[in-house]
Amino acid sequence: MRYALFLGCLIPVKYPGFESSTRAVAEALNIEFVDMQFSCCPAPTLVKLVHYPSWLALAARNLCLAEQAGLNILTLCNGCTNTLKEANLVLKKDPGLRKGVNEILKPWGKEFKGEIEVRHILDVLRDDVGLDAIRKQVKKRFSFRIACHYGCHFFRPPRIMYPDRLSPSKSLVPTQMEEILSAVGLTTIQYSRRLLCCGSALGTKVDLDAANEITREKLSHMTDKNAQVIAVGCPSCFEQFDRGQVLISRKHSRDHAMPVLFISQLLGLVLDVDRSKLGFDQHRIKVEPLLDG
Amino acid sequence: MKSPEIFDEALLYECYECARCTGSCPAAFAVEGFNPRNFLLTCLRLGLDAVVSDEKLWCCTTCHVCEDRCPQMLNVTDLLMALMNEAAKRGHIPDKVKAGTGMILHTGRVLLISKRVSEMREKFGLEPLPEIPVEEVEGILEKTGLAGLLG
Amino acid sequence: MAKRPKAGSHSRNRRKDASGEPLRIGVYVCHCGLNIDGSLDCEEVARFASTLNDVVLAKDSLYTCSNSGQEMIKADIREKGLNRVVVASCTPRLHEPTFRAACGEAGLNPYLFEMANIREHCSWVHLHDRKGATDKAKDLVKMAVARARLLEPQVETHVPITRKALVVGGGVAGIQASLDLAESGYQVYLVEKEASIGGRMAQIDKTFPTMDCSICILAPKMSEVGRHPNIELMTLSEVESVDGYIGNFRVRVRRRPRYVSKECTYCGDCAKGCPQHAPNEFDCGLSTRKAIYSPFAQAVPATYLIDMSLCLNKHGIVACDRCSQACQHKCIDFSQQEEFLDLEVGTIIVCTGSDVYDPSSLTELGYQRFPNVITSLEFERLINAGGPTAGHLIRPSDKKVPKTVAFLQCIGSRSKRSNPYCSNICCMNTIKDALLIREHWPDTKIYVFYIDIRAFGKGFEDLLQRARREGVIFIRGIPGEILQDDRTGNLKLIGENTLLSKLYQYDMDMAILSVGIEPRKDSAVVKRLLSLPSVADGFFMEAHPKLRPVDTPTGGIFLAGCAEGPKDIKDSVTQASAAASRANILMSKGKVTVEAITARINPDLCTGCGACSRVCPYGAILVDPEAKLAQVVEAACAGCGTCAPECKFGAIRMRHFSDEQILAQIDALAETGAKGKILAFCCNWCSYAGADFTGVSRMQYPTEVRIVRTMCSGRVDPAFVEYAFSKGIAAVLVSGCHPGDCHYINANLQTEKRIQRLWKKMARHGLDKERLQLAWISAAEGLKFSQEIQAMKEIVSGVTDEEIEKGIRAFSEKGQAA
Repeated sequence: MRYALFLGCLIPVKYPGFESSTRAVAEALNIEFVDMQFSCCPAPTLVKLVHYPSWLALAARNLCLAEQAGLNILTLCNGCTNTLKEANLVLKKDPGLRKGVNEILKPWGKEFKGEIEVRHILDVLRDDVGLDAIRKQVKKRFSFRIACHYGCHFFRPPRIMYPDRLSPSKSLVPTQMEEILSAVGLTTIQYSRRLLCCGSALGTKVDLDAANEITREKLSHMTDKNAQVIAVGCPSCFEQFDRGQVLISRKHSRDHAMPVLFISQLLGLVLDVDRSKLGFDQHRIKVEPLLDG
Repeated sequence: MKSPEIFDEALLYECYECARCTGSCPAAFAVEGFNPRNFLLTCLRLGLDAVVSDEKLWCCTTCHVCEDRCPQMLNVTDLLMALMNEAAKRGHIPDKVKAGTGMILHTGRVLLISKRVSEMREKFGLEPLPEIPVEEVEGILEKTGLAGLLG
Repeated sequence: MAKRPKAGSHSRNRRKDASGEPLRIGVYVCHCGLNIDGSLDCEEVARFASTLNDVVLAKDSLYTCSNSGQEMIKADIREKGLNRVVVASCTPRLHEPTFRAACGEAGLNPYLFEMANIREHCSWVHLHDRKGATDKAKDLVKMAVARARLLEPQVETHVPITRKALVVGGGVAGIQASLDLAESGYQVYLVEKEASIGGRMAQIDKTFPTMDCSICILAPKMSEVGRHPNIELMTLSEVESVDGYIGNFRVRVRRRPRYVSKECTYCGDCAKGCPQHAPNEFDCGLSTRKAIYSPFAQAVPATYLIDMSLCLNKHGIVACDRCSQACQHKCIDFSQQEEFLDLEVGTIIVCTGSDVYDPSSLTELGYQRFPNVITSLEFERLINAGGPTAGHLIRPSDKKVPKTVAFLQCIGSRSKRSNPYCSNICCMNTIKDALLIREHWPDTKIYVFYIDIRAFGKGFEDLLQRARREGVIFIRGIPGEILQDDRTGNLKLIGENTLLSKLYQYDMDMAILSVGIEPRKDSAVVKRLLSLPSVADGFFMEAHPKLRPVDTPTGGIFLAGCAEGPKDIKDSVTQASAAASRANILMSKGKVTVEAITARINPDLCTGCGACSRVCPYGAILVDPEAKLAQVVEAACAGCGTCAPECKFGAIRMRHFSDEQILAQIDALAETGAKGKILAFCCNWCSYAGADFTGVSRMQYPTEVRIVRTMCSGRVDPAFVEYAFSKGIAAVLVSGCHPGDCHYINANLQTEKRIQRLWKKMARHGLDKERLQLAWISAAEGLKFSQEIQAMKEIVSGVTDEEIEKGIRAFSEKGQAA
């Protein structure tokens, strides 16, 4: 299995541990990555809100790079997934838009043809690699209780992100994270408002305090169910929970201290990847107490 | 390139104010004065101008829950996005958004790859990142009109 | 080899009719108030009509169908010696019988009357193109006159009507209809799928707005049904097949075995010892029942039955005989088998009722994850004295009386995510439920979360006011999400109060989802068996929404109750009596007139090949192999006309829808501007009615189309289409009922085959296949019809003169040698 690896903007700069744990896990599972000159996806919470056509054109450029190599894209961030999947779908369906975008990309020798797919690492793990294959590589067990946070851009709107998996009410409830984590022997818990937004985008655009109110709501429900770890599939959600808990604990009396782990880091733990590759040093909420206890 | 119709104005009439959108909205929960249903209704009854300069618009987290719950299946997020696009055209962009978008325009990334970052990558045993052809990114975004928009 | 019309046989210069009399055609162009005259020039159309050959009189009038209008026609027939009458007005599906009767009264054979539909098919759909609409109306009149010239007087035969009725479904609608008919003296077969009649009304606690006890007012009627000498009640029974036609239906009913004989005294000793349990469907799964059980206390028939899928005894092996040991009357009989009964009835009334929406798919509301979130139907069972909690309102999680209760309106209604329509009863049902709670548990706070309150009926507004007075709190704004506190089972509702533009969070002990009503899940089966059209949301369609609200488009079959659409008990009962009355009208006459549109075979041309017989959906053509002759059994012939195109020898003539008449219409429309026109063949029951619906809904489409009505799309001979192309017509649409829904059972399968063959032929001649379109359009698909015409206009705009010429050459007399 070969994919064009889409790192996005945050991971390479702030959380290289996500990247190295991903690469380590990929090696163990026989996934090959190809790196390309991808730019910012661009962020659906920035460029798209300012100027939709620019967002579409830049996304198309990224898709063309992968198309030229004949590879599907594997994403590690909800925002990147949302942008690339939507742009891919829109350009495949609308010949007028496609024509417009291709005219813009022409001087740089790029033409969108609609030949590849975009997959978030959760889907690659569950559907391409398969739970059995992952299970075979498990070497360690942990008993901490995990609250899975999917974030919003991963699966909404379902008519774009997972158009062939809509429920009768045209909605979708994702389960990939719980499935993968359960398959490798980890414990996941259910909690209220599991599909609520983390609030990150509000913080990066306008008002961090307000964003943290949303995060606080999520944290209260997770704590209510005695979660010990928060699992995420996105560096923005990660930061919102990781840094967020510190800021919230300062402002409010209740102390939240649940380590936040990216999916590749969790898999890295059970596959017994070298700890130095997992990047726990960058975490504000320390992970080690959980592992040693 | 012409800005495509992100939302169909005719669909606005289908809203019967059930409020499932605002009722589910995390930004409405956190920000007083952010109300997707109200933005939609105001846009319909009082016109674009009554909404477009409201800076609270930008509080939308684009989580799409509103669309998920809307019985008329209105693309509420897309509507808000279109309003923000229009606001940007008129020069109303929050500072952080302008800064972030500007970074993407000039560097192709939201965060710069500094020397410290390169050193950190080495420590992790990671290869250096591929260079982004900045002129290409800038060129594309100039053609689309983003450069002009940001001024 | 396609048959060719005789040259000149449809020429418009005929001056004499088939019997040698000179033709004297009268044309009446109706204004219909402003309905027609508002969009086209009726005077001009009348003037145009007077210029046509054989038209001796052409008038325009304001309301032709009125008494005075009819009298005028009758007077003209008598005094001016008219021997053909054409009325250009509304759809023949509305007033053809009216005008036919008028002609008959004036001494003119009713089959010498023709209508041009210049309202539903013209003035209403071309509201903003006066010239286009007027030109089209002129064409339609020209076509009608062309057909009128070739009409022949017909004699109708009569078929006796069986004076028995079948009622499908034993809810309150079925019960009422059965009683009305039985009291009128007819034998009624009431077929009910469940073990007891009663339907939804038996499950409800109280009715609005009177707050009557539902089962108390229903039970006497149920009893009456059970003992009425004219009603044969068949429970645990379903309709297996239906054959025949109005007045003469042959119905096969499958009756499932009860395994309990008629001697059952309803004592209940059997159930006490039964070891098996299952969720009780009547209580919506809130309680259990045994394998041997009675549906509910007031069941009619009052007898137990065994659910064999649950019983331990299978395949004839008796492993457990506790029930039969306990039964003092020895009523248990494990050997009972299912039976089939064949019934002959004259009329059928469909009362199959409704199901409720299942809100599990709306995951944000927590139904089935949170025990204290229930549906309104489950709530009815909870507060019903005969229900699982003996009428005590306790919440499922901890059996405590809730201190706060929330009703959520519009769950599964008014939504593209579930059902787009409003379910009619939920607002009033909630108000009634709220008052019940206030009455019994005055300390409980009640909230109703709504979008609009629909309190439209008699006494409804009063009940709403009463609820407000008694302190029920109405909040405008449906919760976006329901959360549960796992420790207490309490719920939190989050949403926005739109009237205050403020977010809310309410803590509630219990939430009741006011779920919408849906057609019964197995209504698709009934639909197929009876060839009933349904609207997009699945409810059966009535013949006309205002004037024939309980008739179906199929003669002899009527609708009542929720099968037709969501409604309350009063409206169900009203409809049931209405349907019974409609059935009564038919059956009291004792005979039904067979429309004179049946097939006739010319023995001189027939070779007895049997091709016609093979495609007849009714088996109404019998072939005598010795005499090498086919003969039509008139009483069984429905007049669909599918046989006629099949005959290679031109031996079949369809009365009142002959080849010549149809070709004459094509000629008339092709006379001028053929290359810009669309010829549309529409079947009477679905597509023509669909086009009418487009008009009724005032949906607009291009003026290029001219519709020719046939009874069935199976009547359309490919030779007609070829003829049209040979006359230079740009495009042809052949339209009929959806496959599986054909009014004549399956005649449209032949249509499909013929059109496929014709497409291949067109391809061989190098013609653009797009010029011939095949569409399945039902009576409810007005929008689809208009969209089809829009699409065809695009095709017409793209057809070149060269292409037209090619078509003319390919299908003209000479070209046919190929």
